Amino acid sequence: MSLRKQTPSDFLKQIIGRPVVVKLNSGVDYRGVLACLDGYMNIALEQTEEYVNGQLKNKYGDAFIRGNNGNSPSLYSCTTSKISPFVYNQGHQQVF
Amino acid sequence: MPELVDKCIGSRIHIVMKSDKEIVGTLLGFDDFVNMVLEDVTEFEITPEGRRITKLDQILLNGNNITMLVPGGEGPEV
Repeated sequence: MSLRKQTPSDFLKQIIGRPVVVKLNSGVDYRGVLACLDGYMNIALEQTEEYVNGQLKNKYGDAFIRGNNGNSPSLYSCTTSKISPFVYNQGHQQVF
Repeated sequence: MPELVDKCIGSRIHIVMKSDKEIVGTLLGFDDFVNMVLEDVTEFEITPEGRRITKLDQILLNGNNITMLVPGGEGPEV
């Protein structure tokens, strides 16, 4: 497997439009399609599902997750397999 | 002057977060804020039971909550 050096900004451009999961430090997950994000890691998701402690609680057509100053989303993981990509957030976020 | 983290690119690295979480993965890249792109990642939540979560493919880890980096580390003992 060839190594490809990839910076965070390259990675973020790559995952737009793909299904992701945003995980908050509180243990709440939001799974949806990544519509866009900005330099503060504010995130817009489409077709969002909210999971609390692994259980599906709510569904939102669109969700905006605010990247607070310093407490922005932590991990974004995209897979090319059937497993949903994973976006992990350690900060405190608000979801509108 | 290349940073120490530069030398870890392509290798396994163990990352300890401010919370009770640790991440092990292969480092693909990072930026000035030490946000890190990793792949083949295993996430460990440090609880009395030692729960482990394994994720595939690539991850962007926000540098805000990183406490420590361990080059070549394998993570907490399970």
